[in-house]
This record gives sequence, C-alpha cells and structure tokens, in this order.
Amino acid sequence: MLDKYLTKPGFGAAVKRERGFLIFILLMFILPFGIRALTGSGLNEGVTKFWQGQLITFFIMAVFAMSYDLLIGYGGILSFGHAASFGGGAYTFALLTKWWAPRFLESYRVMLGSVNISEGIVLLLILLAVLAVSIIIGLIFAATSIRLKGTYFAMLTLAISSAFYILIKATDFHQWTGADEGLHGIPLPVWLNPTQNRFTIYVVSLLFLMICYLVMRRMVNSPTGRVIVANRENEDRMRMIGYNPVTYRAIAFVTASIFAGFSGALYSIWNMSASPTMMSAVTTVNALIMTIMGGMGTLIGPVFGAAISQVIQQFFYTWFGARWPLVFGILFMLIVMFLPYGVVGTWRLQGWKVKQGWQRFLDLFKAKKAAG
Amino acid sequence: MKPKTKKIITLSIVVLVVLVITLLLYKVAGKEPFIRTALSGLTLGSLFFLVAAGLTLIFGLMDVLNFAHGSMFMLGAYMGWQLYTNPTFIFALLPHLLAFATGVMLLPLIKPTLVRMKLPEKWVNAIPKITLVLALLLAVFSFIGFDILAYAKTAMVAASIATAGNPFAEITPQEPFATYWIRPVLIFLSGLLVAIASAKPGNKQEFAVRERLSKTLPVPVIFFSLTILALVVRESAPKAVLLMDGNLRFAIAVLVSIIFGFVFGQVVEITLIRPLYVRPTFIIIMTLGLSYVIRELVQLLWDPLAYQMVRPPFAAQPGKAANLLEWFQKGSSTLNIFGVTFPTYRLFVIALGIVMFIFITILMTRSRLGMIIRAGVQDPQMVEALGINVKSIFTLVFALGVAMAALGGIGAGPFLPIQPLMGDQYQTQGLITVVIGGMGSYVGAFVGAMILGMARAFGDYFALKYSLSTAIAEASTVIIMIIVLLARPQGLFGKKE
Amino acid sequence: MSTQTPQNDLLVLEEIHTFIGQFHILEGVSLRVPKDSITVMLGRNGAGKTTTLKSILGLTPPQQGRVIFDGMEIQGKHAYNIANLGIGYVPEHRAIFRALSVMENLKLAERKKGDFDKHEEFIFNLFPDLKRLYKLPGNHLSGGQQQMLAVARALVPDNKLLLIDEPSEGLAPILIQQMMEAIRILSTTTTILLVEQNFIMASQLAQRFTIIDDGKSPHSGLMSDLVNDTELVHHYLGASIKTRKEMELSHEAEN
Repeated sequence: MLDKYLTKPGFGAAVKRERGFLIFILLMFILPFGIRALTGSGLNEGVTKFWQGQLITFFIMAVFAMSYDLLIGYGGILSFGHAASFGGGAYTFALLTKWWAPRFLESYRVMLGSVNISEGIVLLLILLAVLAVSIIIGLIFAATSIRLKGTYFAMLTLAISSAFYILIKATDFHQWTGADEGLHGIPLPVWLNPTQNRFTIYVVSLLFLMICYLVMRRMVNSPTGRVIVANRENEDRMRMIGYNPVTYRAIAFVTASIFAGFSGALYSIWNMSASPTMMSAVTTVNALIMTIMGGMGTLIGPVFGAAISQVIQQFFYTWFGARWPLVFGILFMLIVMFLPYGVVGTWRLQGWKVKQGWQRFLDLFKAKKAAG
Repeated sequence: MKPKTKKIITLSIVVLVVLVITLLLYKVAGKEPFIRTALSGLTLGSLFFLVAAGLTLIFGLMDVLNFAHGSMFMLGAYMGWQLYTNPTFIFALLPHLLAFATGVMLLPLIKPTLVRMKLPEKWVNAIPKITLVLALLLAVFSFIGFDILAYAKTAMVAASIATAGNPFAEITPQEPFATYWIRPVLIFLSGLLVAIASAKPGNKQEFAVRERLSKTLPVPVIFFSLTILALVVRESAPKAVLLMDGNLRFAIAVLVSIIFGFVFGQVVEITLIRPLYVRPTFIIIMTLGLSYVIRELVQLLWDPLAYQMVRPPFAAQPGKAANLLEWFQKGSSTLNIFGVTFPTYRLFVIALGIVMFIFITILMTRSRLGMIIRAGVQDPQMVEALGINVKSIFTLVFALGVAMAALGGIGAGPFLPIQPLMGDQYQTQGLITVVIGGMGSYVGAFVGAMILGMARAFGDYFALKYSLSTAIAEASTVIIMIIVLLARPQGLFGKKE
Repeated sequence: MSTQTPQNDLLVLEEIHTFIGQFHILEGVSLRVPKDSITVMLGRNGAGKTTTLKSILGLTPPQQGRVIFDGMEIQGKHAYNIANLGIGYVPEHRAIFRALSVMENLKLAERKKGDFDKHEEFIFNLFPDLKRLYKLPGNHLSGGQQQMLAVARALVPDNKLLLIDEPSEGLAPILIQQMMEAIRILSTTTTILLVEQNFIMASQLAQRFTIIDDGKSPHSGLMSDLVNDTELVHHYLGASIKTRKEMELSHEAEN
C-alpha cells in the first residue's frame, strides 16, 4: 500500500501516475470538437461556444479551489482571506492592462526578427507583476500567522481581506478601479479576446488547469509538502525535530497565493473585467464550498467540487427557480454533516473498503484452494 | 501588592487616554455634533454588543464561531416584525410548532421505559435512524398543501394597510379546521418519533432514572394545552393582536423574538452543531451553510425586498420632548439632549444594550449558570465530572446567545430596513468586537462594541465633514482590530492561554 | 490475597481497554475497591493510572470491559450521570476553577441545593485555611491551598466513592502530612481510590494496592504484603523507592 504514496522518479512514471487526470484533460480538449461535430456550429459560436464558456469558468475556479485546498486541506490553515489573492491577481492584471499597457505599446515596439512581439512582452511583464503582488499578499497573511493562531487568525484574515475589499471599493479611486462597478472593458489583443476567440481561452485555461494541477501535485508530494502536512498534524513536534513551522506556513501561503493570483488574472481575462466581488468574502466562501464538497486534503477533490458547483449553478435554476440557492445550501449542509471528506474523500474511503473486502474474498478463495 | 499596582497604573493610563481622545473629539467636532455623533455611536455600539455578547459567550464556552449569528439577528427582526404587523403568519404556524414540541417533550416520560427495553443490537442501532426518517416524512406530510407563503406575503399588504385604517381587510383566512386538524396530529406524531429516536431504545449506555409522574407529566401537558389553545385562537388572535395598543404589541413582538431565538438556538445546537464538536473546523463551515439557508428561506417567504417597520407609539408621536419625563408622558419621536435633537427610539436601543449588559453581568457573576459557564470556559471535563451535564449547558448558552442576537434584531427593526442581508454588517462588526474585546469576555464585548460604535460614528462624521472617503470610516474598525491584535493577540480583556 | 467477598466491593473494573485518539492506553486493567477502605493505584508515570480514573468516571470511556459501581454497570454512560451516582473526583494538577472564588468552587460542586450547607462544618474543620480564603479567586491561592480546595470540592455532595489523583504532588512535606491526615479522616466515612506516587504516603494510608504498569494491572493485594515485597516494589516502582523493610535495615546499619 505504501508505495502508492512514494513518488517514483522519471517522466514515464509521472505520466503513468497521473494517467487519469491526463485522460480527463485530453477528453476536455477533444470535447469542443465533439460538440462541433454533433451540432455543426463553429468552434467560436453557438452551443460550442456556450459550453466552452461554462467549462472555462470551471477550469479557473478549479485552480482557485485547489489553491485554497493547499491551505485548508494540506496546511490545516483556515483562512477567510483567500479572495484577497484572487482579487489581487485580477485587479493587478486589469489595472495594468487597462492603464499601463496601451501607453507602453504606443511608445515602444519590440521586434523579434520581423515579428512584433511587444504584446507578448507586455503580457509577460504584467503576469510577472501579478506574481509579485500574489507573493506580497501571501507574505502578508503569513506574517499575521506568526503571532496568531486558530480562530483569532481566521478572524484577522477576514479583516485583512475586508480591508482590501474596502480599498478596492473606495470611491476615492473611482477613476482607476471603477469602485463599486468594477473595472470593465479591459483591452485585450484579438487572439486572446474571449468573445472573438473563445477556443484560445478555452485551451489556455485548460492548460492552466493541467499545469497548476501537476505543479501542485509535485509540490504536495515533495519533502516541503510533507512538512506542511506534518505541521497541520502537530506543530510542536515539527518544531522539536527542527523545522520552523512559520517558514513552512509562509511557503504554503505564498504558493497558494500565487496560484490564486494567476487564476484571478485569468478570470479577469475571461470576463474582460474585474469586480469587487472577486475580493469579497463570498469568493472565499465559494472556494471553501467547492473544497468541502469535493473533499479536503486531496487535489482532485476541489476540481470535482468546482465541477459540481458549476453544474448546480447551471441546472438548479431551471429545476428549482429563483430560490435554488436554498436547495444548494441544504445540500451543502448535508454534505458537511454526513460526508466530511467530501465526494472524493468518501469515495476513496468506500472504494478502499470495497477493495479490502474483495481482497479478503480472494484470500479466502486462495486459502480454500490451498486446502483443497 | 505588585499586580495590584500594575492594574491601577494600566487603569489610570486607559482613563487618561480615553479622556484625551474624548476632549480632542469634542474640540475638533464642536459641542452639538460631538453629542449627536457620540449618541449615534452608542446606538451602534449597543447593537454591536447585542450581537457580540452571544458570539463571545458561545465562543468562550465551546470554541464555536457562529457565522450564522447575523442571520439569526435578521430572523429575530423578521419574527418580531411579523408579530407586529402580520400576526397571522405566526399564529398560523404556532399550532404546528407547539404540537411538535408536545411530542418531543414526552421524552422524559418514555425514556426510562424505552431504554430498559431488551432489543437485539441490530435494532438498537437501526431504530433511531428509522424513526428519524419517519419523523421527517410525517413533518413533510403535515405541511403539504399548507400555504405558508400566503400567510407570509400578507405582511406586505398589512404593512401598507395598517396605517391606512383597516388592518383586517387583507388578512389571509386560516385554513378551515375540518381539513386543518390533521396537520397538528401528524406533526405531533413526528415529534413523538423524534423523542423515541433520542431516547435510544434498548441502548445500554443511556441512563434514565424513573421519575414520578408528577415531575415528568406537567411539561407535556402544558404544551398540549397550549397547542389546543393555539388551535382555538388561530382565527381570532391575529385580529386581537392587531387591535392591541401599539406599545403592548411591540412588547409582545420583542418577547416573540427572544423566545424564537432561544428555541431556534436550541434546535440548531442540538441538530447541527452537537454532532460536529469532534471536527471543530466543520462547525464554522456548517454555520456558514446555515446562514446561507436562513437567508434564502427568508427570501423565499418574504421576497428579497426591504421593509420598513413602523416605530412603536412610545417613540413615534410628532413633536420634540424637552426632557426624559416629557418623552415618557407623550411618547415623542425626538428628544432634546443638551440642545441636540435626537430620535427617542435610538435612546431606547441604547438603554436596551445597557440593560442587557447588566443582565449578563448579573447572570455571569451571581447565578449558578454563570458559575458553570465560567468554570466550563476553563475546564469543561471537570465540570462534567462534578455531575453537571455540560452538553445541555452548551445548548443553553448557544440558545441564550441566539436569543440575544434576535433581541438585537427586533431592537434594530424600527430604524433599519428589514431585509435578508441586514444582519451581515452586524455580524462582521460583532466578530471584530469579540476579537478586540477578547474571546469569551462579556466585559470585553461591551467595551469593544462601544469602541467600534464610536469609531464608526465619528469616522462617518469626519468623513462627511472633511469630505473624505467613507472607506476610511468603514475601514476604521478593521484597522482598530489589526492594531489591537498585533499589540495584544488575546484581545483587550482576553486571558492568555 | 484478599479475604473479602466480591459483594463487599464498591467498585470493580474488569479488563477495561481505553483508547485516547488512536493510542491504546489501557490494555486490560482490572481492580477492586472494597467498601470503606483506601485502595491505592501505584505505578510509574504514564502507566495509565490517571486514565484508569478517567475511564471509571466516563471522561475517557472504555471501549471494552466492564465497570461495576455499587452493583451497576456504568461503562459507556455519560460522565455526569456516573458522577451523580455518587463518585467524587479530585483531579491531578489541582484542577480547580481559577476564575471562580473558593466559595463558588465549592458551591458549584453541589448536586442538590443545600449540599454545601450540610457539609460546610465538616469541610472547614478538615481544611480550616479555606474558611479564611472564602472569597478569594482560585488563581490567588497557593499550590497547597488549591489542592485542599480540590479535595474539599469533592466533599460537598454525598459521595460513596472518592477518586483522588496524586494529592501529594508538588506539596511541601508539612502539607503532605496535613493532606494525609485529611484523607485518613475521610476514609472513615467514604471509600477512596487513590493514585499516589509517594510510596511512603501510599503505604501508610492504604489497605489495598493495585499496580498499574503499561496499561495493565499485573498485581494487586494487601498493602501490608507489598511493603515487605522488595522485589515487586523495585520492579514496578523503580529502585529509588525504599520499602519499609529496607529503611529499617538501613536505619539499623547506621546505628
């Protein structure tokens, strides 16, 4: 059983280990073509376009939920401020793209041979800025966790994120941030425009999901990841062995914040806007709901959770009318009460039991054979 | 002597700082604005306290952070407001609730017999589950075809009609008794099944002393007679309530809110929170889910609209009272305080907060329950070892906290728009209050609430005066919290672990 | 071993197993506490003595085995139900309620109204200090006073059995004497199950002993037999403890 948890080195082994996920990615990649074949509408129009839109939201929210799971599931850190990273990434991207990028493009032009790559360079620089902002936000949260623990810490994260929220909603910066209404109409190059070139965004967010999943997977299985998990179980003991829990908490925060920041940036590309809701506690609670529903402490769990919540948002309205969140809330409470490990966790536990039962049955059979 | 001198020094420094800040504000703002803003601050602080007191007691004793507290505040406002303007809704539901309670209250009567039953192991485990499912089905059956939405929606009509003169015109008629009687019977049976399930028939680990009938019978009998009474007055009571003197009606509304909060708190603690004490993080998540559900339920019943509750007559007569005595005599809507015109209803809210603070102080220092709570904060296991049922104390404290939030809700009802999100802001501020004051300390909650109330009021005032951003006033509470936490991580009145 | 019949036992543990989290702490502890006597549990630190007391009370309910108190099986019942049957508990580390005054600590222990008034005189005769400190909050008491309060608290209601966990822990020798005297007086009215590291104190007080070792109870019997069994004492309780016989021997040698 143990070798399941040991990571074998090598590319081939990695592919084999993640084959389920990679098959899923491949299916998702083929899906738009399949829909096109079935309905006959083009890749960037009609039903195909609509379903791509649904899936893009799902991919992005899945990464956000996974990054939240790094904190709550792996690190055992209950933070109510994760939306700060998401919104931080989104606003960094939106603000720079709207106010800085056009001016830069006007005055400079970068050529590679005969190809104009200035748009690419700008995008790269903006993404670097997103990275920097995410790291800073992660470090802020990590810094508060030095002095505070448990509930006090959870409250402070809530306070810090609401400070960000208030800042972004403040009417004083209306001309830049758009205050309550948010920042709309981000100028994007045509090849990245979600209304004109939806398939590009679809592929980008799918790749984003794949890369983030694999990187996070690698991280939680690395020695650093193990220490973070061990910190969750017993901080004092880790301190005694010689690991500084603060350092590892900081690593958890910064990594989670980076993934959340990038998913926020991608979300603002996809919506071509950034709104204060992205920074509000509602967004954190959404990630929390996805993580809990899917299964805390697994990476595939939040992906499932994001899928479930996307499906629910899509269908519950038609099934239950305007008050569908009531049904959703009751469902959520039932999951918290009866499936504390979420869908994936429970399935794994039950599956493990089934496997065990099957093994016992086989052993019995073997024993009989041996006796006979 | 040393800790005492230290205490005196800290106290004098605090008094000095408070005095200096007050003087400074007084100088900068001027006399009239200062008094007006300070009184608004007290009003806000009083509401913050009503929310924070429950939060802090609940957290101190059982480490539960109740994220549904704001929703419960909102529910309290809705319930009181319903009784005040649309009693039909409450009286339509009352027989149901009382019949269910009668069934549940039979528990002490049947438990000794059921526990002593000899049953195979399989049945001991299965019976509670089966009975609970049956109870749920019966409860659902009892509501089928019961048009609760109509009773709720009358509210809007009643609100507009009540002032126009004929409050009865739009009352939804109650269902005729010939078809209605089956509902209370079904829900009574449902309650009885719940009682059977919680008695755990045949469970050897349960313990139940056979008590004399004179001890166990009165409670269900009282509830049974109340059910009958509620059935009888179903039709007439709403009218009687609407015809009542407004002040009396308001008093009843407050009482209804408190009772509702108390009962609702108990139900929530027993059904949703108690099973999760082994997984503390999930309690927070559960209460988050609960607040979501409550909000949606309220939107289902009353639509996502904002309502205005009419102020009770004792603070609604036109005219300005010159002093307190005149207010009491005439019930004027505003009062002259040192030359400042201030709404009297807000003074009532301030008084409410102070009275509740005194009540909690007495409860915590003088009563046996307070003793148990203070002991339980330190060591619940040892309290249990003294023969005290700590779980039931948890339920009681949770219910008390929720009742207090509901009281805050109905207190705020007449001057806040009543809408599904009205509790959210108070919950956030309440949580911040608790953190500033120190979790588990009711004195801390009071001081913290007053600080926050003042900060909000003066923040808004100065933002307006110097045309600054209102964001500063909004952020002020958060900034105070961050400063306090960094300087004193356990809060102002919290104890170090 | 003992000549007493089982009917005389107030408390019997039969092979109880207790888990704390995933740790198997008690792996089959059996012991008997005869009526109107002092029984002492001996053993090294971490052997499971405190857990045994908590298992009796239901604070850490045993998963297996039976606990019979006064002829009634009590394992698995709620701790408050068990306590209300008439079991008083004096926890280790003087776990009094520090936020409560001495009076409140005592009043809290009442099971029926008036319990405290009934026993007030007896308690203050036993611990005269407490009367003086009546209104002081618990955190202002000294260690010894806290220990006395912890014992006094268990005396407020009518108890058939007292479970006392390490009453001498961290006390000055003179206070140990006082505590021993108090326990001796108590044993005239109630049955006592004692956990004690101080072998001399234990051997002077108790009539019976049970040794707890590694979550099991390998030996029990009369105290008078144990004090002379040098080998047993050394094996389970460490070499530093001297039995009375050894002390007498060394005393003679010195002379």
